[in-house]
Amino acid sequence: MWRPSGTFDQTYRQDMAIVRTPFRWGLLIVCLAALFLFPAVGSHLGWSLTYYAVSFLNTLAITIIAVMGLQIVTGYCGQISFGQAAFMAVGAYSSAILTTEAGLSFWVALPLSGILTGIYGLIGGAPSMRIKGFYLAIATIAIHFVTMWLLMHLSITGKSVGLTLDPPSLGSFVFDNEERMFYIIMPVMLGLTFAAKNIMRTRVGRAFVAVRDNDLAAQVMGINLYYYKLLAFFISCFYAGVAGSLWAHLTLVCHQEQFTLIHGLWYIGMLIVGGLGSIPGVFFGVLFIRFFDEIVLLVSPYLATWFPWMGTAPAAALGLTAFGMVLAVFLIKEPRGLAHRWEIVKASYRLYPFAH
Amino acid sequence: MNELVQLIVLGLMEGGLYAMVAAAIVLVFKSTHVVSLAHGQLMAFGALAFWFVLVKLDMPVPVAVILALAFSAMLGWTTERFAMRPLIGQPLFAAFLTTFAVFLMMDGIFQLMLKGESVSFAAHLPKGNVMMMGVSLPITQLVSFGSCLVLFLGLALFFRYTKVGLGMRATAEDHQLAQSTGITVRSIFSHIWVLSAVVATIGGVSLANVMDIYYPLPYLGIKGLIVALVGGLESLTGALLAGLLLGILENVSAGYLDPVVGGGVKEVAAYVLLLLVLLIKPYGLLGLVRIERI
Repeated sequence: MWRPSGTFDQTYRQDMAIVRTPFRWGLLIVCLAALFLFPAVGSHLGWSLTYYAVSFLNTLAITIIAVMGLQIVTGYCGQISFGQAAFMAVGAYSSAILTTEAGLSFWVALPLSGILTGIYGLIGGAPSMRIKGFYLAIATIAIHFVTMWLLMHLSITGKSVGLTLDPPSLGSFVFDNEERMFYIIMPVMLGLTFAAKNIMRTRVGRAFVAVRDNDLAAQVMGINLYYYKLLAFFISCFYAGVAGSLWAHLTLVCHQEQFTLIHGLWYIGMLIVGGLGSIPGVFFGVLFIRFFDEIVLLVSPYLATWFPWMGTAPAAALGLTAFGMVLAVFLIKEPRGLAHRWEIVKASYRLYPFAH
Repeated sequence: MNELVQLIVLGLMEGGLYAMVAAAIVLVFKSTHVVSLAHGQLMAFGALAFWFVLVKLDMPVPVAVILALAFSAMLGWTTERFAMRPLIGQPLFAAFLTTFAVFLMMDGIFQLMLKGESVSFAAHLPKGNVMMMGVSLPITQLVSFGSCLVLFLGLALFFRYTKVGLGMRATAEDHQLAQSTGITVRSIFSHIWVLSAVVATIGGVSLANVMDIYYPLPYLGIKGLIVALVGGLESLTGALLAGLLLGILENVSAGYLDPVVGGGVKEVAAYVLLLLVLLIKPYGLLGLVRIERI
């Protein structure tokens, strides 16, 4: 791996460190401090955009958690899953049931709903024992619809009405608005990112990559294929479950409309734009697509006035078209995603003024 | 008993519709080894074009059929030329995801055209019910089923007796071998996309004849995909069989299970069938069992 000039690793610990230079430590601390101070300071000083920005950051962080899970199963382990939205729904509903029906506190229900979703994901990942590739991708679509049908028809999940939740609380402090939920969502997101980064550096992560690159060769080398595929589904669905649980406690309702197949498709799209098989890629993909979506939302009212034949509300439709175009361009021109571009930029910065 | 017969016959009719969409997907997969998600849209756009010519421009039915088929052929060619051809030689996964990108792109345009309404051309076509052996059948369903049978017969003849059809079969066997016997594989790809878009349009028009054209129509393409997988991705016969099977299963299970569980069985029957079939026969009912090596 390339090192900046003048940086030498003398021990194994230094070589394996994620954050390796004092400058990077400084940058990390400053960025995290800015991130965590922003909602408090912003609402204290009464900046007009704070509420909008914080709620945007919240959705962003939850999406990042869900896509991070997808990255593990699709980007690293090579099992395409279009069912992430359904698994998120399972997480959301299970945390809603755990907090309202079973009377558990949010802090217990959050990891528990992740684990429950993970176990559900084992059922969802079971077809991967027999099938792979396209077949598995379509099977996950089938799993999505079956899951949604179950949620729609079981009485414990509130049928077509859905469920309502109470906001989480710590002692007498209630996390009942976007700014307060921010302080739950962000640490969870950062912790899970750190965990994902480290899982991928262990034996398990290397096994995932081996399964992705050539599953038969991996099996010949002694990797238990089914164990690792199911493990990938478990971890991925754990992430989805946590994301769904956070989402449910942010919006305080659970409804099928929040987790449609289109959501699952968008997550795969974010993954492609960001770059398959890269943790920073998740951030790039989610940020890029979400910003792009916001821009489309801002522009579409003007488009509707300039081109009256489009009708009154073309935002959703235009968003889909624009998203599809971006996806096609990335697949054809840059299949390795924004993360790969970022690596190129970093390398050329390091090597400047030389080309190689 | 009579109820069961009615359900089975209706199921057969609906199954024919699924089979047509599945046939379009099978055609593309056989030659290019790409599973296409885009066909749901090709089918919906074909139906929309047919509606536009028939209702908006008020043309007679044959003109509408010809124009809709021409339009969809163009659409199929465009998809192949600008989305699929740049990806020749890339991993198949990328091509699969590109068809998905095309699906999303066209989905937006489709919604923009409909503006949240639903349109229908059924009023311009013959309507009513026919009694046949004690079973009442809507004419629209009969026409759709008839066109399905004609379509499959036509495809069988096309692959057997025309030069292009033979070229397509050779390409399906092996790209390199086909190329070395003088078949231009690249133009075969183009032809196959045009052909499959046309087939999808026939399916789409038949579907839209039975139901209205509204925003979930493209998502029936996913059902076509499921039929193709159940039947085996390489097999046209499999597509027909699986389509009819699914149609019957959906209607019979909805007829008997809906009162028990409270409705909606029809929506999931296809997905449950797919999961079961894939667990028992991973390559579908009539699909080729692939033997892999490192």
